[in-house]
This record gives sequence, C-alpha cells and structure tokens, in this order.
Amino acid sequence: MKFSWLMLSGILAGLACAGLAVPAVAQDAAPSVDEIVAKTNHMAYYQGASGRARVKMTITDSQGRARSKEFTMLRKNMDDQDKTQRFYVYFHAPADERGTVFMVHKFVDKDDDRWLYMPALDVVKRIAASDERTSFVGSHFFYEDVSGRGLDEDHHELVETTDTYYVLKNTPKDPGSVEFDSYTMYIHKDTFIPVLTQYEKGGEVYRESKALAVEEIQGYKTVTRSMISDMNQGGQTTLEYTSVTYDTDLPDDLFTERRLRNAPMEHLQD
Amino acid sequence: MHPGKWLIDFALDHPRLVTAVMVGIAAVLIALVAAPSLAPDTFPMLSGVKVDTDPENMLDRDEPVRIFHNDMREVLSLYDMVVVGVVNDAHPNGVFNVQSLRNIYDLTEFARSLRGEALGVSDPRAGVIEVDLIAPSMVDSIEQGEPGTVTFEWLMPRPPETDEEALAVREKAMRIPFLNGTLVSEDGKAISLYLPLTSKDMSSRVYSKLQPMIAELEQRGGDDAYYVTGQPVAEDVFGVEMFKQMAISAPLAMLVIFLLMLFFFRKLILIISPMIIAMLAVIYTMGLLIATGNTIHIMSSMIPIFIMPIAVLDSIHILSEFFDRYQETRDRRKTISAVMASLFMPMLYTSLTSAAGFGSLALAPIPPVQVFGIFVALGVLLAWLFTVMFIPAFVMMLPERSLENFGAPAGHAEEAGAHTASGRLLRWMGRFAYRNAKAVIAASVVLAVVAAYGISLIEVNDNPTKWFRKSHPIRVADRVLNEHFGGTYMAYLALSPEGEQAKPMEQAEEAEEEPTDAPDLPSGLGGEEPGLPAGLGGEEPGLPAGLGGTPSAAPTAAPTSSEPEALEIFKDPGVLAYINRMQAALVETEAVGKSNSLADIVRTVHRDLIDGTEASYRIPDSASAVAQCLMQYQSSHRPGDLWHFVTPDYRHTSVWVQLRSGDNVDMQRVVEAMEAFFAENPPVFEIAGETVRLEPQWFGKTYINVVWQEKMVTGMLMSFLGSFFVVLLMMTVLFRSGLWGLLSMIPLTLTIALIYGVLGLIGKDYDMPVAVLSSLTLGLAVDFAIHFMARSRELQRENGSWKDTYALAFGEPARAILRNVIVIAVGFTPLLFAPLVPYNTVGVFLASILLISGVATLLLLSSLIRLLEPLLFPKTRVCSITCRCGTCILTAVTAVLVVWVNVVQFISKGVTQFTIVSIIALPILMLGCFLASRRAACRTREALCETED
Repeated sequence: MKFSWLMLSGILAGLACAGLAVPAVAQDAAPSVDEIVAKTNHMAYYQGASGRARVKMTITDSQGRARSKEFTMLRKNMDDQDKTQRFYVYFHAPADERGTVFMVHKFVDKDDDRWLYMPALDVVKRIAASDERTSFVGSHFFYEDVSGRGLDEDHHELVETTDTYYVLKNTPKDPGSVEFDSYTMYIHKDTFIPVLTQYEKGGEVYRESKALAVEEIQGYKTVTRSMISDMNQGGQTTLEYTSVTYDTDLPDDLFTERRLRNAPMEHLQD
Repeated sequence: MHPGKWLIDFALDHPRLVTAVMVGIAAVLIALVAAPSLAPDTFPMLSGVKVDTDPENMLDRDEPVRIFHNDMREVLSLYDMVVVGVVNDAHPNGVFNVQSLRNIYDLTEFARSLRGEALGVSDPRAGVIEVDLIAPSMVDSIEQGEPGTVTFEWLMPRPPETDEEALAVREKAMRIPFLNGTLVSEDGKAISLYLPLTSKDMSSRVYSKLQPMIAELEQRGGDDAYYVTGQPVAEDVFGVEMFKQMAISAPLAMLVIFLLMLFFFRKLILIISPMIIAMLAVIYTMGLLIATGNTIHIMSSMIPIFIMPIAVLDSIHILSEFFDRYQETRDRRKTISAVMASLFMPMLYTSLTSAAGFGSLALAPIPPVQVFGIFVALGVLLAWLFTVMFIPAFVMMLPERSLENFGAPAGHAEEAGAHTASGRLLRWMGRFAYRNAKAVIAASVVLAVVAAYGISLIEVNDNPTKWFRKSHPIRVADRVLNEHFGGTYMAYLALSPEGEQAKPMEQAEEAEEEPTDAPDLPSGLGGEEPGLPAGLGGEEPGLPAGLGGTPSAAPTAAPTSSEPEALEIFKDPGVLAYINRMQAALVETEAVGKSNSLADIVRTVHRDLIDGTEASYRIPDSASAVAQCLMQYQSSHRPGDLWHFVTPDYRHTSVWVQLRSGDNVDMQRVVEAMEAFFAENPPVFEIAGETVRLEPQWFGKTYINVVWQEKMVTGMLMSFLGSFFVVLLMMTVLFRSGLWGLLSMIPLTLTIALIYGVLGLIGKDYDMPVAVLSSLTLGLAVDFAIHFMARSRELQRENGSWKDTYALAFGEPARAILRNVIVIAVGFTPLLFAPLVPYNTVGVFLASILLISGVATLLLLSSLIRLLEPLLFPKTRVCSITCRCGTCILTAVTAVLVVWVNVVQFISKGVTQFTIVSIIALPILMLGCFLASRRAACRTREALCETED
C-alpha cells in the first residue's frame, strides 16, 4: 500500500501524529531507501498515538461542478510499529448521507477488515476484501488512499535526491492488481511529508496528489489541505482539515461493529 | 428572331474565345478548390473539400432540439460510441467460453489504449475514453459475498480459465440490469463492447485500428463473429462510400450516356460537346459549392448526378434537330442558327423551370437541402448557358468535312427517321393518340385515381442506417446486434424541472479552478533547485504552504456549501418510482428493447446492499436511503458512471432508451406513446412541501432524425407547391395562354402522381431522397411538355390543323423526347448498383420520371390537344395576356399563390445566408431587366407577340 499513503498523506496526515522530533533528521546523513519509505509512511498515517480531524471534501468534476461532503475521521494506532490501525469515518454532510460510517481495521500482514453503515437503510455491511482501488465515496481518492497502501506491495527506488526532496519511484510487485505502471513521490527531506505523488501509466502522468498546506499542530507537522487530480478525465478532489487534534483518548471499543449504529458523538461533534 | 440570338451569334463568331473563357474559369475553380484541399495550411483563406456525413446537420445548428441535444450530451458526458459486437452461435454457451472471453479481454486491452499516438493524433487524450469504455473487464459488478458482506469488483478482472468461470461472468452480468441487454445479450450468446470517443472524427481511425486486431483474433480460431458498428462508424463508412459513388457511379453514368449518344448520332466528335458541357457544369457547380465553404453532404454529393442528365437533355434536343436538318443545307452555321432559333425559347424555359423546381428547395427548412437546391439550380442555369453558347461554338470549330456524313440524308429527314423502329413506334403513338384521344384521357384519369389512392398509403419514414444496402456490413452488423441485444439505436428521454436548463449559460466558465500548480518555492527553501528530476520529465514540485511554500491565493474551489441550495429532485423515491413506470410504458411500445435509468441503478444497489434477493430490487423508502445507495454505487471503479444518468445537482436526469430499429416511424410511435403516458400521468410531484413540475424532453440521434424528417416532409410539400405555381406562371407567360399553361402542367402532375402513387402501393418509405426527388420530377417532367407544345404550336401554325400537324409533331420533336428518355433512363442504370440506397433511388426515379413523363407528354398531351383544338388554336390572335380574361385571371391567381406560398416560407425562415444572396441577386437581376428592356427589339410593337409571330 506504499503508493496510496503518499497521496493519502493528505487525508491521513491530518490525523497522523508522529513525534515532533521527526524533523530532526540530519541533512548530511543520507537515509536508506527503506528508512525514507518507513518515515514517509509514518508521517502520512501514524503520527501520534491517535488522531481526529474534521474534513471537508470538495469533489469537482471536469465541468467545474463541485459537490462537497464533510466527515470526521478518527484514527488509533494499535501498536507502535506503524502497523495495525483502526479508522472510523463518520459523515456529517450532505444531510442525506449524515450518519453513514466507514470503518477500517487495518493490518499489515493480512487483508484489512472494512465495514459500512448506512443509517437510512439501517444496514451494516462488511465490505469484502477485494480491490481497494475503488473510489472513496465518489471522490478522486481511493479507499486505499484512506487507509494506506502496504509498503510491501511495491518496489521502492530512490531515483534522485534534490535539495528539497527525496524522489522515490515505486513499482508494483503485482502489476495486474493496480491500474498504474508506477508512481513517483517527492518526499520533503526535512519532514518526510510526501508533497507530490504522480501516478504513471504508459509514460504519462494521469493522476497526482499534492499537499497544498502544512501546519504544525501540537508539534506535529500536519498536511491541512491536499488535492488529488485526475488528468485523464479532468476534475479533482480537495480535502481541508479543520480542528485536527492528536493523542486524544479514543477507546478501543469505539472501533467496533457495535458503534457503527451507535456513533460516538462525543468524539464527533466539534 | 429570338432574344438569345445575339448570344448565339456571338458564340458563332468567336467560338475559340467562348471555349477558352469557359475552360479557363473551370481551371481557376479547380485550382481554387484543389489548393486548399491538398495544402490547407498554405491557403488558409480558401476553403477546401469538407465532408459532412452527420445526419444531425439536417437541422440548423441553432435548432432548439439540437441545442438541447448537445447541452444534455455535455452535462451528462454522453459520447458517440463505436460498438463492437462479438457473437458466437456455435458454442453452446455462446461467447461465454474460455477462448471467446480471452479474445474479448485482449480486444478490450487493445481498444482501451487507442488514443493519442496509437491513433496517430497529437492530442494524447483524443480517441477512446478509457474510463467510460464498457467491456467485461472494465465494468464493476456489485454483488453479495459471504453473509453480511458486499463486494465491488471488476466483472471480469482477467480472462477466465475454465468454462465455469466463463459462465460465472455471464451470471454476474445478467444480474445487473444495466449490463443485461447492453453489454451481454439477453440470450447470453453475445457481448457488445462500447468504445466512447472524445469526438466522432476519431471513429475512422479507431475503426481502422480495430480491423487488424480483429483479423488477428479471428485467426486464433474459434467461432466468434465480430461486428463493428455504431453511429460514428456508419457515418464514416457512408462518407467513404459517398466519395466512391461520386468517383465511380457518376462517371460511369456519363460513359453510358456517351455510348448511347454515339449510337444515336454516330458522330463521335459531335457528341463530345454535351459531355464537355456536363463536365463543365459539374465542375463549376461543385467548385463554387466547395469554394464558398459548403460541405459535401449526402445531399450535395448527389449534385453531379442531378446536373448531368439535365445538362445533357438540352444538348440532345439540339443535336437531334441538327442531325435531322444538317443534310438539308450542309451549312453548319445556317443549320445551327436555325436549330437554335427554334429551340432557344423552349430550352430557356425548360432550364428555368428546372431551376425553379430546385431553387424552391432553398425555402425548405433543412440546410443541406437548401444548399442542394441552390446549387443544382445554379448548375442547371450554367448548363443552359454552356449549351446555347458552347454547342454553336463547338460546331463552328469542327472542320467542315468532319460533318460530311452527319445526319439524316437531305430532304428525307422525316422519312429516314420514320423508317427506324423508333420512328415507327412514334408514328403509331401519334396515330393512336389522335384516334383514341378520349380513351387515352379516360385511362389517364383512372391512373390518376389509382395514384391518388397510392399516395394516401404513403408512409413517411427514414432510417440513415437503411441508406446502406441490406448486404452492406453496416446493415448486417445492425441486424445481428439488434437480434441479440436490447437495441443499438439510442434515444434519451430527459426530465428537468419546467423551464430550467441543464446547462446554465457560462456555467463552466464561471467556476473557479483549483490552482493546478503547487505554490512556488519560497526564497529561502531552494529557489535554485536542480532542474528536472532525472528521467521523470516532471518539474520538481513546489513546497506546500507550511513547509516553506507560500499559501496559495485561492484556497478552495468555487464556494460550495455542503448542503445543496436547490431541491435534489431525483433522489426522491416517488420520482424514481415514476421513472420506473415511465420505463415500463416505454417497453410496452415494443419498439424499445430496453431502457436504463437512475432508478434502475438505485434498485440494483439497494438489492445488493440489503440481501441480493429479487424482493429487495426496489426503490428504498426515503431520499436519504437513495442517497446512501448512490454513495455506495459511486464507491466503485467508475464513480463517474452515475453522472451519465443524472446531473450532480440531481435536477436533470435522462433515461437511456434502446430501440431495436432506427426507423423514424418507430421512434415516432414511442414519442407518441410517451406523450399519452405523460398526459395520463402528469409528472408533478410534491417533494418536501415544494411542488415540482417536470418537463419530459427527448434527445439523441434517433430522435433528432424524427425531427428533421418531419420538417422535411412539410417543407418539401411547401417548396413543391411553391415551385409548381412558379412553373405554372412561367408556362402561362411562355404560351401567353392560361389554357396552354395548365395543359403543360398535366403530364408532370400525372408523372408525379404516378410515381408517388406507386411508391405508396409498393410500400416504399417516403424518405429523404424520395422527398428531394419531387423537385427533380417537377423540373424534368415539364421539359418534355414544353418542347412538345412549343414545337406543336409552331407546326400547327404552319399547317393549320392538328390533323395535319400531329404526324409532324411525332416526327423530330417526339424523336428528341424519345432519345432523351432512353439516354437518361439507361444512362443512370449504374446508380442501381451503388451500395448506397439513396443513389439507387435516384437511378430508379430518373428512369421513371423520364419514361412516364415522356409517355404522358406524347399520348396524353396530344390527346388533349386533339380534343381542345378549337380552344387552343382560336381564330383571334391577340396575344397580350391582359386581352384574355381566363388567362389573365389564372395568371393573377397563380401569381398570388406563388407569392403566398413562397413568401410565407421565405419570411418564416428569418435571415439566412440565402436572404443575403437574394438581396445581392435582386439588384443585379433588376439591372439585367433594365438593360434588356432597352434593346432595339423592344422598341417595335411586334416584340409584344413574338412567340406567336
């Protein structure tokens, strides 16, 4: 899932909460590819022990028609190895999607468990582990972008180091499972925030994700605005993070099937 | 003495000059057209050959239905599609076997790459729109997994390895209403791939790339049959065939005409002249057509075929008479002068009537028909000018001795002509009509009644696919695919709130775009970065705000609130249920094989989110539930699919209607059935306390065809009436007699009645080519009457009585008519072998028009003259129209009708390019009249009654 964490960094960076200490990487000690990959992954998805963010998602199509959704995303790391995680995504808006919940139990060594709750139908569904490269609620993000792409799914190669960036090229080990040939990440050397990720197919960049704004919140460098663009069809989705908090107390039982119908409103209201 | 004498004398005096000017102008026109066609960049100011095969262009660009069509296609991202059908009738599971699905998978992989470089175009996105491609490996299947789970995955992520897996693909696809009958045939034997194109001019490239790939797949063995079709493909193929016909059929017709003339006149050198005239007339007309920026359309491609027979007609009259008279004097100048003197007025009038017939099409409400009418009229007049100037010039340029053996022996013209088989036939016809005049008239009346009955049976119908012959691959593909699928003819039924447009003006332009570039690097953080990342070609990205980048000026896209401002109509369960009822009504018409709608999507997703059973295949109870179903539907590989059915504000939707036939009558039937449905079930809803009135409106090509055809039928009838009155007025003026004028209209009226009567009786549809041919009929059929009557009147004056005259009238004048009938009727038989039906129709029509109007002229007219002799040849010889009460009244009535019928059409059209043409033409014509009226000949009183003296 290496690839998606780059672009998802936008979404998740808001939640991520690694220590403030991260920026301390020495410029002169060139890290190995594995280190870069690991640190970037950490910055994108694992900062802090837990995180919460209110997100406004604006989906704009090629004709300039925009729709927006708002959701709160809760995240909790279940270990300190940057592996097992839980996500709880609760939709506030539009009104007719209010109360819809998407929950993920993310594992590194096996398929994630995913649930969906639709209040108007009063239905809880497991989403079978299949292709995660489908659209996240109609946006230009994929589900995989939300929960992260496994680091072991790609070969990583440091193709260039500039004054600002580590340029990492990632090639899928199973090309049949994804729609891209490779993706290239521009990782900020100081912070390990993936600033730009470009997906290529047939030598053309057809999709890219960008971090548009970064803020320091509770000492964590946090992407607070990001965008994914689709060059094939035109159109893009932007995410804006408001009220990001780290290391909040999120009980384990919040991330259970039971809480889909009975949302933890105390953690969701701003 | 005739008005054109000076023209002919000029040609006789300066034959080489006349020829040089004619050929010179033709050469200039050819250069004007060839230069921009071959090197468009070098001559941007000139217009070259532009082909237009889009039936949509039968309507004006600003026609409301067309604007709506294009707006809806844009807001719902609907594209022209190439359809590839794969059918396997041999395997028990149809195409659902390992081999066939492997082929289909490979074909899809190939097709999805067809854009940009692969098609040889510079725009990398131009070509097949991959995300909207419909193929088993490119669409999603939503289905029930283990209990409590639902899966969204590719219908056929990879080619199956066993027959069970292959059948599973079929099972999955057939569960999804959108795919069943569209992607997968309802009988489970066939699959259709739909390749949407960024623009339809990509289709010929896509088509030609698919051909070798398909050939390769066929070589792998197996029993798959491939059919490539779709509207853009059909249009392209039609364009190619059209050019072939212009290059093959028309010259071939020319050749046959040439051989026939050689047979009649036996003098090769002389009959070259009509060939040259026909060619020049075509070159001038087409040259002007293209140079003025008009396109080669199905209509305008037929211009040469219309001009050629008309151009040759007059020449045949001249040559025929020259042939019969030359040996009397053996003086070519004298002979040709005499021939031209007797033929000038009839030829002028036949040309004017033909031009009027076609010119009236300029008032038809269909742009390509207007262009066609104007340019054929122009070609006819040019052909006339060439005939009266070039034939005399050509005769003068021939060495005298080359004419030595030409023509019927001196003094024996009549006898010689009379002794051939055709001469005997004509003489017999003359006698027959003279002796059985009443019987001939009675028979004609009976025929007219039968024809009237036939006309009442005429069915107005058209189908551009049927412009191909039955055996044509496009027709075959059409038939096979419509047997297997829910129909390949698409129409769309849109629902919008009353008075609300789907595409607000300037909407897209107003929306602020998210900046596509990240902010520039700040000064402190690497203004002097190294250049491009090695081997990646991309520019190094700037840093985001917060990492040292500057905050971007426009933080968000156009202000959007999370809550919609306007009511989201098409999330309402009541409205969706109504759409389902609408669809049921559509299918009841039987012309509709299948329809797809937003409501179907909601039902399908609902079924699989609940429990996958048929009972759950329904619209859920609340708008929120609908919204949540659609949210899941969009959580697929193809979130954009939803927006082909509804706009993101949920205020405009369209139902995809698949018809099994592209016949306008079938589409019309569906439209009428739905009108009845809407009348019974008005689409008015109470949603959240708001009253919503929806307005149903059709669009899509199949529907557009109906609209222009309706316009065509009424438009053609009006322009036919208009030109009928124009011709009647001209005839009355020509003969200075209302009775003669009416008489001359009888053969053409009978001809048209018979032709359309037969059409009705044999059940041939009244389609575009048939409609246009009515004007050709008018122009051609009156020709024979003019020649026959003008000559008969002349002969009558010389001989005193019809009894003594008719034999002469059935001599040379009748022979010219017979020769014309044979030359044109036989000459255009090559059209019968063209693969395009409109060309076949024209061929059959030309032959029928000439044959029927020839016979009607010779038999019926002479019978009428026999019976009406006392009235037609009165003792009084006062010729001024105002001296005859009946004639005067008829003239007045006709003139009023001419003005009324034509002006009404003209005014109703508003200002078009033809208005401008007329405004320019009017003063020029007035100047011509002014000059003509000051001629010396006009100063004498005798000019008043010229034709009679």
